[in-house]
Amino acid sequence: MKITVAGTGERKSASIRPVENEDFKVLTIKRYFFSWKHWKGKAELYKLCLDDEDDILGIMALTNIPGDKRIEIKLLASSKENVGSKKIYDGIAGCLIAYACRESVKRYAGEGCVSLIPKTELKPKYMAKYGMLDAGWQLFLEGKPLIQLILNYLP
Amino acid sequence: MSNKVISGNYNPEEITASFILTKRLTPKQKEEAGRQLKEARARAQSAMTDNDRLALKLMQFRIRIEDYLGNENFNPKLTFSHFLKEYVNLLEKKRKHFAEEIDIDETELSQLINRHRFPSENIIVRLEIHSNNSIPAVTWFKLVEKEREHALQNNKALRQQQRKYVTNKLPVHIG
Repeated sequence: MKITVAGTGERKSASIRPVENEDFKVLTIKRYFFSWKHWKGKAELYKLCLDDEDDILGIMALTNIPGDKRIEIKLLASSKENVGSKKIYDGIAGCLIAYACRESVKRYAGEGCVSLIPKTELKPKYMAKYGMLDAGWQLFLEGKPLIQLILNYLP
Repeated sequence: MSNKVISGNYNPEEITASFILTKRLTPKQKEEAGRQLKEARARAQSAMTDNDRLALKLMQFRIRIEDYLGNENFNPKLTFSHFLKEYVNLLEKKRKHFAEEIDIDETELSQLINRHRFPSENIIVRLEIHSNNSIPAVTWFKLVEKEREHALQNNKALRQQQRKYVTNKLPVHIG
């Protein structure tokens, strides 16, 4: 997968891997906004890094709900220098969401679904940016929009 | 740092581009949210075409191969033959018809599926074309290579047999 250098449009190869125990030493609230240790053992945690580099640019907590053939995004954050008008890289969150979609297809094929319970004021923004579908309290990706998001971010 | 702090420092577009911020629901809201999602998913499923379903099955198939190839361990069950059989099954085609579609004899297809022969490059390229480039020839090729690599690494008999043809072996070993 590729993320984009915000200033130049240059594309850089990145990959997503499970968070390892030693990563918690660097996953500080100051740089990653939340206490990610809180999710240890409660969710599947994935990190996005540039290929051949260890620095974590984004992180995501997922829960798998096999009974519903669904994966729920509990939380996702880019690292501090990749947020706002002066961010270094674009597309970190998109790649992580697409990875959650990929996991749902891997586990549940045509019935796979990714859902989240968004903050109300962000709901229309997530729908517009990532093609998410409205389910009242929740947003979700399933079927065509899910395929599209994977193809957009993980070609 | 709380959601409030993030909302105070960044505008909604910046937040959308870099975060998924979620909220907690009360038990009553959770129940309602579950019902709403179930209904919305049923609508999404009924809007899917046969081609959407095929695309998702194909995507699942490709992801499974990609993840296996990305893992350095060899799994004797996950061979080219295994994935070819899965490919034919996911298309819900009879072997005879699939063999016709890639212009090979049904017997040859059976030999490929039953691990009695490796595919030629022609077959691998035909598989790529048949999948409309969804499963590239290189992906099929890497499956064959992974199997061959494992076989070569573990072929003690061949090493024993070939030893007599080698003289003046190097005096050093760096393995």
